[in-house]
This record gives sequence, structure tokens and C-alpha cells, in this order.
Amino acid sequence: MNTLMYDTYTIFWREIKRYKKSRSGVLIRLIQPAIWIIVIGNTFSGTQSLIQSVGFQGEYIDFMTPGVIILTAIFTSIFGGVNTLWDRRYGFMNKALISPISRSAIALGKMFAISLISALQASLIIGIALAIGVNFPNPIMIIPIMGIVILFSLGFSGISVMVAATAKSQETFWGVINFLGMPLFMLSPALFPLELLPDWLATIAKLNPVTYTVLLVREMMTGVSEGGIPILLSLVVLFAFVFVMIGLASYVFTREVNRPF
Amino acid sequence: MRHAINALYSIEIKSLTKSFGDVIAVNNISLSVESGEIFGFLGPNGAGKSTTIMILTTLLKPTSGQALISGFDVKTNPKQVRENIGYVQQELAVDDYLTGRENLLLQAKLNHIPKGEIDKRIDDVLDLIELSDKQDKSVGTYSGGMRKRLDIAGGLLHRPKVLFLDEPTVGLDIQTRRKIWKYIKKIHVEFDMTIFLTTHYMEEADQLCDRIGIIDGGKIQVIDSPKNLKKAMGNEVISIILQESENHDYFLSELKKIEFVNKINEDGSKLTLFASNGTEVIPKIFQISSKLDIKITSLSLTQPTLDDVFLSYTGHEIRDDDSGFNQRREHAKMKRLRA
Repeated sequence: MNTLMYDTYTIFWREIKRYKKSRSGVLIRLIQPAIWIIVIGNTFSGTQSLIQSVGFQGEYIDFMTPGVIILTAIFTSIFGGVNTLWDRRYGFMNKALISPISRSAIALGKMFAISLISALQASLIIGIALAIGVNFPNPIMIIPIMGIVILFSLGFSGISVMVAATAKSQETFWGVINFLGMPLFMLSPALFPLELLPDWLATIAKLNPVTYTVLLVREMMTGVSEGGIPILLSLVVLFAFVFVMIGLASYVFTREVNRPF
Repeated sequence: MRHAINALYSIEIKSLTKSFGDVIAVNNISLSVESGEIFGFLGPNGAGKSTTIMILTTLLKPTSGQALISGFDVKTNPKQVRENIGYVQQELAVDDYLTGRENLLLQAKLNHIPKGEIDKRIDDVLDLIELSDKQDKSVGTYSGGMRKRLDIAGGLLHRPKVLFLDEPTVGLDIQTRRKIWKYIKKIHVEFDMTIFLTTHYMEEADQLCDRIGIIDGGKIQVIDSPKNLKKAMGNEVISIILQESENHDYFLSELKKIEFVNKINEDGSKLTLFASNGTEVIPKIFQISSKLDIKITSLSLTQPTLDDVFLSYTGHEIRDDDSGFNQRREHAKMKRLRA
């Protein structure tokens, strides 16, 4: 167990080092969510009455900011595994595979690094949101929000690492990831309340871990609970999602990297 | 389970076969490498060298047969095998984003070098490969030769019992290649490792290896020391380039009748004769050619090289396969790697 932790940390260390040295990516990845907040947040400001009809008193931009935080987390973490493909192509993976560390440690190290990076990106988005005047009545809540973003991203990075280990090419990876990412984001209350979705869509949304995460972050940011789902249930769903993804990702990753690339 | 204690052989390969679908990459090979030996696997691209190394380093599972590293079976005890090996891949597997030292630190952690020893070990290998002054520069700024040296340093940081070098000097210029050879020899003496290397450069095998296995088409053609291989060739090699002629085949059969001619290889208009007494053979060649009215464009007499050894065992030269294509591919890959 100790060895697994040490090895996981080794891979984590390497991923974070790489991230730190590729600073240009940090800003580029912030552009899209910033556009979401500024453009969509203002474009849909006229929907305030709709939002208020389900009990949310603030402005639309306050409502959707938690959604954009999660959007950042989704895409940072689901794209994050792509370097697995580079690692396999350029030999780093083989180096790790012929060393005594376990395959699970490689997957987990990557996942933890991705989730930390994802949390950093999300915190920058919170900064942008505050800068443009989004309401955040209780700033201390940033701490649990970051905790939730890290957990959620850990689960989502599992998807990314699994897809990257299974895909033999960049094309396959991006195809699958784009197929998964957008629908998971859209089928959640990130942009509109669950109550406003048609019943069948709301039912699908309730099967989506993104939904529970958005509800948690929204409640912490705005103090308004929404959708009639208790915090405890959301937390249980989130934790279950993370545990399942950690197990699944380790298993799939180990199986796939043992096959010739 | 067998234990590694006092294993005489660092590497034992028994009837090893690996096929990918219909393609048999490694065909029933057997060989043993003694502890402390530098063994070279020589063959053209696609001969099965890298596949063999990947099996020995636990990256691929053999289709059949057995391979033991320090007494541990690669199939049933991969973890113990991994604790005993270092592997420097054909591709440069250093991380451009990290500095030289950080690359080695990563390698040290991957191989569970005790914390207290890591710094000293890294200092030592940096010194050995003469990269101490560049250690804190990002690897993105290194030349190809420096990257390769760093990569090799990473492979021996944890002092493995067996070091695998897959084409250690491919794509490097001749000065850099010689420098790498120097380092390999130094490593071998300093750490007393068994080294298993693959190459398609004759000179490399000749310079470095105690013994050479020539592999072609997935099969081992011969295993011996470079010296013995050359000696077994007969003393001299006569290369002849002919102008085209109808009597070509007849000429060939007449040449075979000459005393001292042990073997003839034919490659289009180029003939290579292996003869134990070249100076007496040459006049006879001219007698036959003038009798048959065959024009000889050039003729040369040389001492045998490993090139000739290779030719005599495989029937073709090591460079006349698709190596040009592979080199271009390699080059393109390196360019992408740096991008």
C-alpha cells in the first residue's frame, strides 16, 4: 500500500512538473469558460424570470456561474488524459511499465494530477466570475467547493485515462471524448434548472453525476438549494462516482497498457 | 520459482516465439548470455530484434517458449524481472519539459532507489555521461546525442543486473556514435553489468560486443564472437562488379570450381567471393572472364568485415532492406517529438 502511494506520487509529481512548464496551456484553457460566463451569462440574462419562477432570486449569471465552474472541471479533466497517448507513443509509458511500479499507480498518479490541475483552472474561473461582479455571498465556501471540484475531477479524469489507454490514436480519443463531454454537461442543471427540463430529460439528468455536482456547488455558492435533491444524496452520489471511477480506471488502464500499442 | 542466486546466465532464452497474427516476428530462438557479457543482436530492421527485447523486458508476452532474466521467468515473474533490468529504448524517451536532473530523478523514483541515495547516484551518472554542467537545463534544449546520453544514464541509475540497449546509436552522427560507444564501455566496466544490445551497425557490434548473434527473418543465423565470426569466414573477400553478360551464370559456375573459393554470393552484377587465398584466386578469375568474354568493371580484395559475415549468413546485405524508409520515419518522429 505504501509502495502504491509512493509510486502514485511519483507519477503525480511528473505530471504536475509538466503542467507547470507548459504555462501557455493554462490561459488558453481559460478562454472558453470565460466566454461562457461573459457571453452566455449576459445573453440569457433575460431568462431571469424563468429562473426566479423556480425559487432562485439572483441574476441569471449568478445561477449559471457554478455550471461554468463545473464545465471547466469537466473539460479540463476529460481532456487531461490525452498525454497517456503521447506517453505510449514516445516511450515514457514503456519506461514506467518496465520499472517495478504497478500499472494502477500510473493511472492514479495521472488522475490525481489532472484533478488538481482541474481545481486550479476552476479556481481561476471563480476569480474571473468575481471580477465581473458575480455574487458570492459567503466566500469561505470556496474551500468545500474546491474539495468537490477535486473529487468530481478525479472521477472524470478516470474516464479520460480509460479512453486514452484504450484508444490507439488521437482521433479515436478526441472522437470519444467529445461524444461524452458535451452531452454530460448539457444533460445537467448547469445552465437551466432541472424543473424547467421536460420530464424525460430531467430523468436522464438525474442519472448524471454532473447534475449532483452542479447542485452542490450552486448551493454552496448561492445558498439556494434547487431541484429538491438533498445535499447528502448529492454527496453520496459524488463519492460513489469517484470510487467506481478509481476502481474502473485502474482496472481498464492496467488491462490496456499490457497490450501492445 | 527459480532464484537468481549465482545464476551463471543473465539471460536464457529457450525456443522463444512471438507471432502477431500471421506474421512470425521471432521464430523459435534460443540463446544464453553470461553474466557480465556484452551481447549484440545484429540484424536488419524488421529482423525481430526489438520484439525480442520487448519480450525480455516484459513489455510483450511470448507466444511460446521461455525467457529468463537473472533466473526469473518474464512470463510468470515479471515484477522480479523488472527489478533486475534497465532498458534504453530505440526512441528517445526523455521528457522535454523536464530538466536533465529532473528526468533522472523521475527515473530514480520509478525504480525505487532509496531516498538517501538518489542525489549521489544522479551526481555519479551525470558525471559519467559528462552532463553535469547541463543538468538544470530543460531537455528541450539538448542535442540528439545529449538526449541519448541522458536516456542511457536513466537506464543504469538503479544499477540493474542486465541493461538492454535497443539501437543505442540509431540516427546519431558518427562522432556522437563513437562517444556513446565510449560511454557504454565505461558503464560496462564500472557497473559490471550484462549488456544486451541490438544494432544494425556492423561497426557497433564489432566495437562493443563480446559475442554477436546474427538474426534475420526472426531466426538466429549464427552466434559467436566477432573475431571467430571473421576468422570462420576464410581469409579474404574478393568483390567483383561485372558488366551484364549472357554468360553470367556460366561464369559463376566456373568461379565456383576455382580452388580456395569457399563461397560466392551474388547480388545483381556484384559478386562477393570468400576465398582462403585471394592472391592466387584473382588471376584465375581474369583467365575465366577473358575466356568467356566477360568484362569486369572493378575488382577488390579485402580482409573480411562483419558486413561480409552478415552477408554470408543471410545472403543479403544489412542495408539493402527498407532501412531508408525506417530512417525517414524515425526522423519524422523525432521532429514531431521536438515540436
